[in-house]
Amino acid sequence: MMIELLIGVALLGALVTFVAPNRIAGKLAFAISLVPAALSVYMFTAFDGSGNALLADGGVIAFESSTEWIRLGEYTISWFVGLDGISLPLVVLTTVLITLAIVSSWTPIDDRESQFYGLLLFIEANLIGVFTALDFFLWFIFWEAVLIPMYLLIGIWGGPRRKYAAIKFFVYTNVASLVMFGAFVTLVFSLDVTTFALPAITTAMLETGPQAEIFGLGGTSLASAVFLAMFLGFAVKVPIVPFHTWLPDAHVEAPTPASVLLAGVLLKMGTYALLRFNFTMFPEEVISAFAVPIAAIAAISVIYGALLALAQTDLKRVVAYSSVSSMGYVILGLVAFTQFGVGGATFQMVSHGLVSGLMFMAVGVIYNATHTRMLTDMSGLADKMPLAVGVLIAGSFAYMGLPLMSGFAAEYFIFFGSFGSEFLEYAPLITAVAMFGIVIVAGYLLFALQRAVFGPYLLETDYEIGRAPLHDIAPMFVLLAIIIALGVAPELIFDMITDAVDPILENGGEW
Amino acid sequence: MSVGIEHYVLLSMALFCIGLFGVLTRRNALLFLMSVELMLNAANVNLIAFSFYHGNLTGQVFALFTMALAAAEVAVGLGIILVLYRNFRDVDVTVPSTMRW
Amino acid sequence: MEGIFTYAPAIALLPLAAFVVALCFGNAMPKKGAIAGIFATAGSLGLSLLMLAAVASGEVHHETYYQWAAGETAGHSAAQGIEFTFGILIDPLSALMLVIVSLIALLVHVFSLGYMNAEGETGLPRYYAELGLFTFSMLAFVYADNLLMAFMFFELVGLCSYLLIGFWFRTESAPSAAKKAFLVTRFGDYFFLVGVVAIGATFGTLAFAGDNSFVAQAEAALDGGETLFGFDARTWITITGLLVLGGVIGKSAQFPLQTWLPDAMEGPTTVSALIHAATMVAAGVYLVARMFGYYALSPTALGIIAFVGGFTALFAASMAVVKDDIKQVLAYSTISQYGYMMLGLGVGGYVAGVFHLMNHAFFKALLFLGAGAVIILMHHEQNMWKMGGLKEKAPVTYYTFLAGALALAGIIPFSGFWSKDEVLYDALILGLENQLYLAAYAMGLIAVFFTGFYTFRMVVLTFHGEPRSEAAEDPHDIGWSVKAPLIVLGLLSLTAGIANLAPVGKLLDMDIMFLEMWLDGHYGGLEELTYGAYSDTLAHETGAIAGSEQTTLLVGAALSLGLALSGAGLAWTLYSGSDPAQHTQRLGSVRELLRSNYYQDEFQVWLAEGLTLPVARTADRFDQSVIDGVVDGVSSVSLFGSGWIKRIQTGIVTNYAALIVGGFVGLLVVLGVYGGWFV
Repeated sequence: MMIELLIGVALLGALVTFVAPNRIAGKLAFAISLVPAALSVYMFTAFDGSGNALLADGGVIAFESSTEWIRLGEYTISWFVGLDGISLPLVVLTTVLITLAIVSSWTPIDDRESQFYGLLLFIEANLIGVFTALDFFLWFIFWEAVLIPMYLLIGIWGGPRRKYAAIKFFVYTNVASLVMFGAFVTLVFSLDVTTFALPAITTAMLETGPQAEIFGLGGTSLASAVFLAMFLGFAVKVPIVPFHTWLPDAHVEAPTPASVLLAGVLLKMGTYALLRFNFTMFPEEVISAFAVPIAAIAAISVIYGALLALAQTDLKRVVAYSSVSSMGYVILGLVAFTQFGVGGATFQMVSHGLVSGLMFMAVGVIYNATHTRMLTDMSGLADKMPLAVGVLIAGSFAYMGLPLMSGFAAEYFIFFGSFGSEFLEYAPLITAVAMFGIVIVAGYLLFALQRAVFGPYLLETDYEIGRAPLHDIAPMFVLLAIIIALGVAPELIFDMITDAVDPILENGGEW
Repeated sequence: MSVGIEHYVLLSMALFCIGLFGVLTRRNALLFLMSVELMLNAANVNLIAFSFYHGNLTGQVFALFTMALAAAEVAVGLGIILVLYRNFRDVDVTVPSTMRW
Repeated sequence: MEGIFTYAPAIALLPLAAFVVALCFGNAMPKKGAIAGIFATAGSLGLSLLMLAAVASGEVHHETYYQWAAGETAGHSAAQGIEFTFGILIDPLSALMLVIVSLIALLVHVFSLGYMNAEGETGLPRYYAELGLFTFSMLAFVYADNLLMAFMFFELVGLCSYLLIGFWFRTESAPSAAKKAFLVTRFGDYFFLVGVVAIGATFGTLAFAGDNSFVAQAEAALDGGETLFGFDARTWITITGLLVLGGVIGKSAQFPLQTWLPDAMEGPTTVSALIHAATMVAAGVYLVARMFGYYALSPTALGIIAFVGGFTALFAASMAVVKDDIKQVLAYSTISQYGYMMLGLGVGGYVAGVFHLMNHAFFKALLFLGAGAVIILMHHEQNMWKMGGLKEKAPVTYYTFLAGALALAGIIPFSGFWSKDEVLYDALILGLENQLYLAAYAMGLIAVFFTGFYTFRMVVLTFHGEPRSEAAEDPHDIGWSVKAPLIVLGLLSLTAGIANLAPVGKLLDMDIMFLEMWLDGHYGGLEELTYGAYSDTLAHETGAIAGSEQTTLLVGAALSLGLALSGAGLAWTLYSGSDPAQHTQRLGSVRELLRSNYYQDEFQVWLAEGLTLPVARTADRFDQSVIDGVVDGVSSVSLFGSGWIKRIQTGIVTNYAALIVGGFVGLLVVLGVYGGWFV
């Protein structure tokens, strides 16, 4: 019942916050969000699962709960939730990041507060749902429901081009979801199952494969077509080049807390789904046919995203494009199909969530004070707001993968896992190319730092630029502490991740 | 000479066509409403005729429903026409055309 | 003595504690955090000396403290699983280096009291915190027992140098120099990281020492004639070794990645002393020494190291000749001297390389701190042409600086002579057997002349002659916190050569080559990490002039000493006198070439701004127009289409009714046709 409680508290909190007066909405939402955060941290300590939730290999799904919900003809849809080593860290990431995002909205959000915070809590409930649902329909409902609050957050509280960005975000990702949905339902109908429960589908898929012919396709060719369609569907969400263009627009227009969530958690939905569906359910022979092209796209995403970030003059765009680059590493790790590769990819999901959240918060705090994000306008901010700038520098180095911070651990695991991968052809070469991203990322972040925070102070404003208030700074320090903790002791979560990743790699799947 | 089912169908068809003609050609909203009523009644005639022909009452029950529906529709329709008149000083249906692209 | 190793982690952790203390409480403390740093580094030095003593008594410490991550390796590697750990390896090499690093760090902290505190700087807690973090990173790097831990602290060293070089962040130039330093070294570290990943993936271990070290695995693979990653074992070892070397070339400022180092002079002079003598730059060469066993397996890699070193030594020395800024001269001399160390290591002279690393640490720290003292004297003027005549006004500074200069130029009996001579001797005997290496030797030898020249040009211009500016006539006072470190280092520069008087020992047949015995595990050490073991693996054939070791030794020493003295003499004749002329004009176009550092900076700036940035902008335009254009195009097409279709929504009820009827009839007809009503 823990997961129901988690989702329930967030949903109820969203309702309560929605009707609360604007004046107290922020504090109220913060207080409410502490409950899921505390609960998820408790679940983290009390975690007793083992193995992968989708693979029936004698593993234990933690906090499992299942009730039949809807019958559609012969098919059953159930309320089926549970956690394993892959999803638990992401749930904790979500709850913690939401709490911090709420605190960081106190300063910038001064309009329709109760609705804003209500939507934040609503998004939290759905995100938890995405990471815990083990039934396809349930999962899909949460997956789609996440879009609504995010659309409103960008569309109502966003920047000048918010309508364009919000619609682009919504339509683009929704079309992709449609493709993915169609593909997956096709697959289910071809399989020998009468349920939408993901573990059952996975078992059927790996043991027997598609039984029926659909659109004249069957067996491996059907599975390959579905794999490709689902990959494309998730690729938009991740996003992978060339499906990434909604991301910078959405980030630039979104208010800071929405950016934090967008980069911190929403992008991870895509990679999480890729791991859960594409790389868990399909047998190796299907995946391996796509391995080299996917790895190549991942490497291109890394380098191309980094180059794009280098060309930007808007600080938020810099961070947005660098997310494209970082997500490329995740894809590379997944497709390497080794313990360190897939485990590192999952670790990178968590790590990038923390680091990019930190970066967006820092940029937001600077924007609150200077009312500009253009690198060309800023100069010498270090003197004016030393703490915020200090955190920005620390966050930049975390982004660059400085050792003893979580980014390094994640990237190192991915590189190590993919370099030696036997699954992936040309693995050393592709890895080496992708690794060059660590140089470019250092280039654009250091360049941005030099422009924005160092040098003589030149900004001419008719308002005073002062130190940021404590409640703006405190969330960033919390994030920094977690980042360093995970960098020094990656085994805090890496153990449970690899425990859930191992069954995926062992499942050869011979039809 | 007994009245066969085909006579009822012909009557209903005639009624319906008159109503349809009215809907397509009249611009007065009141006439519009009347034409719609004619078409509904054409349907009623059909329902009752076939009910009689098949010897069960389902059709008649449906006819009752249709009449209730028609009454409700007239109420709503007249309300709309009243509002139309208040706003446009006219009951021509081509005048209020703001609900378009 | 074994019990003392319990405290080994504290060597690095003490400065880390100082970092935290200075960062959090620095503002509230007297001297703004300096005290914490001084106590911490003093503690580190004390512990390091104890470690040194323990190693001398035959103990070695090799222990894993902490498992960072563990998992399975993919099929390529020999081992099934791999553990990434933090561990400490204290053997003769690392114990020696620990002492050097903590000693220099302590002296720099003390010197900073005079250089930073007395000058009314702001941001001192930040300064001392960063110094503490710097020392921590370097010490942890030095006693790392595996390649990954080494890499991690190698990177942290880079971070600290970034922060310290950019200490005066309110200027335009310091942040730029800091960025350049980090980026250029990061470029090298990219190759290093690929190398770390490759070695780990190949051998399933990253340990430096022990039966399961990657060196031992590589040796086994070599013996077994295995194929690694599609290459034969020796080629793969060469490739991975060269990848790691990329990091070394970046950090140790070797050609072609040396450009960051002169710019790094934007940092406080104390920081320069620390970076050049004992931390950042030394880290690269130390890494080669640390994993020398691996390089010994690949003569090709060693040959490349030797040539990179020899070329850098000459290349950098030629640029130092024309510089006017005292710190710039020292910066190029650093690059050049690290070239010597690389040359020494590359020709198999492990002892020679380490010996020069040690001596250089002392005399370069001395020269930088001396330059710092000069800068205090000169009221923060760094142009040597504005100095002059400081000899009488600051005798302590002068004599200690002179000691450092003599060591740098390699004049007998100062420490630099002994180690440089040994490097060149090792290159010479290898070159006599294998002519290719003679070229590397020749470059190193010619650089000796330049070294003598620019060193004494600097000394003469700074201290001799008449004062050439108001500041030089009325120098600022310097305190004891400045003088004390200079004196300590001056004595060390004079005497450190005693550690390994190889020529004397060989000529007189005496056992006084203490450092060689030390590194050979004579007093204690791990067998596979000794000079002897490396030499066995390497098995270089060496030659000698006239078939006699003594003759070769004497010829080599005479050559290098003669060149150094003639270089110094030339500088003396050109620049002594009360009002020296700027002879560099006579060099003509060569002068411009040298002053512009062979246009290498321009080339690298062009790489960044002339090539990468336009490529990035093009990519951005491509992204905005083509990729995003397609996305927007899809929406435009649907908008355009719906713009036409929406016109059927006329707002006239009659039309809607007609459409409904028409649609109904149409549907009926279609159904009828397909349903076969009209047949």
